[in-house]
Amino acid sequence: MWSKRTHKLLALGLAVALVASLGLTGCGSDETEEPDDGGAIVTDTVKIGVHTSLTGGLADYGFAAAEALKIAAEDFSGFEVDGVVYDIELVIKDDKGEPAEAPVVAQQLIDEGVVAVIGTLTSGAANAALPIYQAAGIPMISGSATAPDLTEQGFENFFRTCLRDDVQGAALGEWALELGAEKVVVMDARDDYSVALANEVAAAVEAGNGEVLRQEGQEGDVDFSAQVNNISAFGPDAVIFTGYHREAGLLFKQLVEAGVETQFMGGDGIKSDLIGEGAGGAENVEGTLCTFGGFAQEGMPGYEAFAAAFRDATGEDAGPYAENNYDALGVVVTAMELQDSTAPADIIAGLGEVEFQGVMGTLAFDEIGDVSVPGGGGSELIPRFEYTGGTWVFIQ
Amino acid sequence: MANPFSRISNALGTLPRWVYVGLALAFAIVFPMLEYFGLMETLWLRLGTRTLVYVLLAVGLNLVLGETGLLHLGYVAFFAVGAYSTAILSSPRFDLQWNFWAILLVATGMAMLFGFVVGVPSLRLRGDYLAIVTLAFGEIMRMTLNNWETLTNGPGGIPGIYPPNIFGWVVDQPAEFYYLLLVFVVIIVALVSNLKNSRIGRAWNALREDEIAAHHSGVRPTQAKMLAVIMSSGIAGLAGAIFAYYQQFINPTYFLFMQSVIVVCMVVLGGMGSIPGAILGAVALDATPEIIRQTFTAWLPRAVGSDFLPGVQAALQTEFDRYRMLIFGLVIVLMVIFRPEGLLPNKLWRREVREEDPRELEHTRQHLFDFEEGKQDLEV
Repeated sequence: MWSKRTHKLLALGLAVALVASLGLTGCGSDETEEPDDGGAIVTDTVKIGVHTSLTGGLADYGFAAAEALKIAAEDFSGFEVDGVVYDIELVIKDDKGEPAEAPVVAQQLIDEGVVAVIGTLTSGAANAALPIYQAAGIPMISGSATAPDLTEQGFENFFRTCLRDDVQGAALGEWALELGAEKVVVMDARDDYSVALANEVAAAVEAGNGEVLRQEGQEGDVDFSAQVNNISAFGPDAVIFTGYHREAGLLFKQLVEAGVETQFMGGDGIKSDLIGEGAGGAENVEGTLCTFGGFAQEGMPGYEAFAAAFRDATGEDAGPYAENNYDALGVVVTAMELQDSTAPADIIAGLGEVEFQGVMGTLAFDEIGDVSVPGGGGSELIPRFEYTGGTWVFIQ
Repeated sequence: MANPFSRISNALGTLPRWVYVGLALAFAIVFPMLEYFGLMETLWLRLGTRTLVYVLLAVGLNLVLGETGLLHLGYVAFFAVGAYSTAILSSPRFDLQWNFWAILLVATGMAMLFGFVVGVPSLRLRGDYLAIVTLAFGEIMRMTLNNWETLTNGPGGIPGIYPPNIFGWVVDQPAEFYYLLLVFVVIIVALVSNLKNSRIGRAWNALREDEIAAHHSGVRPTQAKMLAVIMSSGIAGLAGAIFAYYQQFINPTYFLFMQSVIVVCMVVLGGMGSIPGAILGAVALDATPEIIRQTFTAWLPRAVGSDFLPGVQAALQTEFDRYRMLIFGLVIVLMVIFRPEGLLPNKLWRREVREEDPRELEHTRQHLFDFEEGKQDLEV
């Protein structure tokens, strides 16, 4: 028999070994990111915070944002303000996409002395972090926080380079009506993003005299038989799911298996090629339509070059909202040049009147901080895609 | 077994208690001043404020879990009730801005009411069943907040909560929230520690040790348990109300089951049925992960310079967050191995977990011996 002490030591040793082995695998994947100073006469650096989500459910979006910003920091470094040539130093922090973590991250960035923050990734985190940046007078420019209420609250330090949920929701609803749908199922996944989008879709369909049946799932659900029953009884012309591709694939698969013949549609959450896999074969979701909350990449003047640079730097295709983040740093630099100052208060003032020629086109902000395109524009800006042969194809 | 850890704590135990209380309070009062004089980053003040919220929660849960011995796994639900009461009554959502004290009263009262409602059916249950019912209640509360969109705005949450106005003092700086919370922590701790030594406190302990014996000694189990549940719910509601003011934004993701588990861990880690233990548990569990994170992402790079093994440093900074919770888990495992009674246990609980006392060991041995001999065990 082993003594109690031996047991303890053994347990301790095993635990240490476990941590050590994990630690080693963690160290294996190191990546170096050394910005080169391009030979410019560097006289000062300015710190820009990147408040994003590098871990958690939306880590791939956060990766795209952080990598796009690293490229942007290299591209925009060497701008001149008040006779001084500035280099950009990014301070990248992770909030896991959780509102509870966001204030801590915000405070860390403020303590680091950043003059502006690009972020947050999600609307929930934005809501939690905004009061803190506001109190510190730091401008915050998000490339992907789409909840309408963010700009409606009257924070003068908040700007965004993405379109709002209500724009995409209207576009999705109008598209269904254009296709001749009269009875539409609108289904969300009970998280803040999908519910906000679903509300806008339902409003748009009802505004066009369509009949709406609201349904809901939960993220992580695998069995949608209750919803399938309801949908099947309703006999819709279109089923619009505003959640993410994993649940969408399963839902659409179960609808097909139940013999429901209808047009599948969704928001940008389903815009992943993996949806075919989740649906048990691409043929189940062939012809599914989706919108995207950003601007149409196909119409962007600088997207080709940006996508190539992103691929060179990371070896991967540019993820969703990468270009929005790239341009967010661009507008900050432009605002500094415009005001001839790197003070946060001046950047906020400058952002109000900036007109920036970026990857996505010419960007400016309206009085509440939403991105506006010269000449105006609403739901017709939203790009549309169709799932054909296992991948999403741009329609218009 | 006397390990170094318990030897140190035994040595420290010889000083009178007021010395420690005074030291802790003095540290708590001085802490925000470190930030004011630029000795500490504001981050730590913000984390300290969050820790105080957890201290309130841990002290509150200790009433139920530590003193009365009821395994409550839905504690965060009452925290949510308090937070949502504040958010609804003091935000642009319904264009309301109630007085701070009125909101505090409503938040605490609502949480107590919910505590009563949950208590009525569930306090008839014992052990595992109570845990299941409270766990379910926590989930029901979260689902309700997530789905009752007309009231709570569903998953989108309630932004823009107005800061409290206490007789003209607008509390909106981290340091101000810190002191506001500290005042409530002191009041609640004073209240609870007096209660602990009162008749009702002893009744709770008696119930925890042996419900049947307590019942036969004149304790009414349901009433006493109900009182513990209602009081601890009220404390959670109070903590929630101030938390909502402090965050200025809440949504249902703040009130996940995991939060309840963390508060349970704080009480268990600190030492069941011990108020200093609950406080220490809250401080340790809330602050430790952040300290570990800062060590690897800020202090270590600063100390060794950026030229020292830059690859390893970059890996630590990007990968660290994934292993942070693992290290945290390891610390808890080590605790359970080396100090199962918690950091600052009360004496009764400690004796129960470790039979260190030689007389008790002798007793156990005697018992075994007598049994083998077929004699009756008469020895105390």
